[in-house]
Amino acid sequence: MSAEISLTIVDRFRALRETRFGSFVPVLLALIAIWAYFGITEPVFLSPRNFYNLFMQSAVVGTLAVGITMVLLLGDIDLSAAANSGVCAAIVAVLIANFGFSGPVACLVAILAGIVLSAGQGALVAYVGIPSFVVTLAGLLGFQGLMLKVLGQHGAINVSDEFVRGLTKITFSPELGWAIAVAAIAAFTFFTLRRQSRRRSASLELESPGALYGQIVFFSALLVGAVATLNAYRGVPLLVVLLVALTGLLGWVTTSTPFGRSIFAVGGNQESARRVGMNVKRIRVAAFGIVGMMAAVGGIVGASRYASVSFNAFAGGPLLLEAIGAAVIGGTSLFGGRGSVWNAILGALVIGSLGNGLDLSGASAADKLMFSGAILLLAVAIDAISRSGSGQSR
Amino acid sequence: MTSAVTNTVGPGAPSPSAHLTASGIKKRFGGVEALRGVDFDVRRGEVMALVGDNGAGKSTLMKALAGAHTTDGGTFHLDGREVILNTPHDAAEQGIQIVYQDLALCENLDVSANLSLGDEPTKSGWWFLPHQLRPIDDLEMERKARAAIDKLQVRTLQSVRAKVGGLSGGQRQAIAIARAVGADSTVVLLDEPTAALGVAQTRQVLDAVIRLRDTNHAVVYISHNMRDIFEVSDRITVLRHGSNVAVYETSQTTPDEIVVAMTRGLDTEAT
Repeated sequence: MSAEISLTIVDRFRALRETRFGSFVPVLLALIAIWAYFGITEPVFLSPRNFYNLFMQSAVVGTLAVGITMVLLLGDIDLSAAANSGVCAAIVAVLIANFGFSGPVACLVAILAGIVLSAGQGALVAYVGIPSFVVTLAGLLGFQGLMLKVLGQHGAINVSDEFVRGLTKITFSPELGWAIAVAAIAAFTFFTLRRQSRRRSASLELESPGALYGQIVFFSALLVGAVATLNAYRGVPLLVVLLVALTGLLGWVTTSTPFGRSIFAVGGNQESARRVGMNVKRIRVAAFGIVGMMAAVGGIVGASRYASVSFNAFAGGPLLLEAIGAAVIGGTSLFGGRGSVWNAILGALVIGSLGNGLDLSGASAADKLMFSGAILLLAVAIDAISRSGSGQSR
Repeated sequence: MTSAVTNTVGPGAPSPSAHLTASGIKKRFGGVEALRGVDFDVRRGEVMALVGDNGAGKSTLMKALAGAHTTDGGTFHLDGREVILNTPHDAAEQGIQIVYQDLALCENLDVSANLSLGDEPTKSGWWFLPHQLRPIDDLEMERKARAAIDKLQVRTLQSVRAKVGGLSGGQRQAIAIARAVGADSTVVLLDEPTAALGVAQTRQVLDAVIRLRDTNHAVVYISHNMRDIFEVSDRITVLRHGSNVAVYETSQTTPDEIVVAMTRGLDTEAT
């Protein structure tokens, strides 16, 4: 009896995950559970000020996770993303401090450098045929050395450029924040409803009204809640809007363009993608290039937040592992073909919330590490359970 | 024994009604001669079965027809016009589509995405973007998928938005066939479409093959299953050791005769 019930729950869960917004549900539930737990044990956790900090703390990890998702979708991995971020941050700092570049130009150069470094690795994976794990492991080591070289003997450079600092310091006025939210909700509602009406006129399968308005209500509630919380402290940060816009752009590219479709196709069945005439090698290089771009953006955000670039902030494991962990907790498969950049953002929030909440409750570094490990394991287990039996071999 | 042979073997003139003709096709893999000058033709509105023992060259010939193998000799004609089939792209341009044994479907994508894979329709008005970054017209994609599925009458398929990973073997086979048909093809090559399928699912696939013939496609059908072959095919080409044995009219031969031809060749070359 109980087995029967649990079976239907798992089945429903699987069916839910197949829908457009359904893949958000597990990670969103995890997030809510974490917030509820810390909200009870540490009431200050749910304060607007803490949420503001949480968003800012998760920004670098989130940016990297969004980038890494692109190669995870292909079935590859990028271990060098964090080190690449470090190189790009160092380039920004050195160009501004030592060569007198203006902030925007320095950022542009860093982004280009990030793309070149990652796309180069992508070319090694695609054209030479070295597994991405090995190529990017070499990149991880090499880029750490490169970052030290770029930084010079000081090991740390302060960044005081107005433009770079402004990326994380500027917040919008409450009115502007609300205006952005209303505009986004209106646009979302318009496109969702227009889509439905077009489907009706083309006599295609329709989404159920519940799902249709559920999407709109869900999206609106999320946005209103976020803006209200942020406005209660300092207002919506420019950084959050920028990152959401960038993620939105990548989300659109991955789900709604032939290029994005080919990424999923290569991740799902590379041979099939090759046979229908897709240029698998070029797709791979492009996906790595996007990781490089996001790594550079992450590096710039990091430089902006800490007002300095140091080896310790980027090198070593934590940043990279948190980024990969965020992507996987978000529900992106390590085997390729399944996942979403939006889930990477939610995954980054899960990891950020854990770290933040455990900090507040005065947990030791040891506890934090073990907690993060357990959550990651749980996320992968949920992924495996929800997938097994759905007909997919992996 | 040779009474049922209707087409002479050798570099003879292709029959005038043939749609796709291959003459004297040779293919070598290192020291192995997989095809030693094979002749083959298929008409529109017929199912031509291609049979032979393992290593007879069936799959090699089919891959040559699909442009997946470049040949070491021989010519291809389509409606009497010589065509070059060096790449899968060449073959697709000429309207030749192949359904591989492994189907080459992406299980993580839905049915409509699989049917348009590599050739996604894009919305107009985005000319300023490179083609790869233009928005996909998913309504058009679903409409096309619906039409292709309806054409094959895959009744059990509920939704073109279902992920392929959740479908049965027969449904997947039908979708792979639908993908080949959807691409404005005139020749459809099927490599062992019913291997590893149950009875009901085999039925479904054979129905789809018959539908292809009825819609005036030239169908080439590789199979080991004599029952399936005798059910759907109009003619049977038998290969052995990379050479032609004979072409039979299905209605005038028996499974036994085919099996003998496959394993021993004709009496004249039997040792």
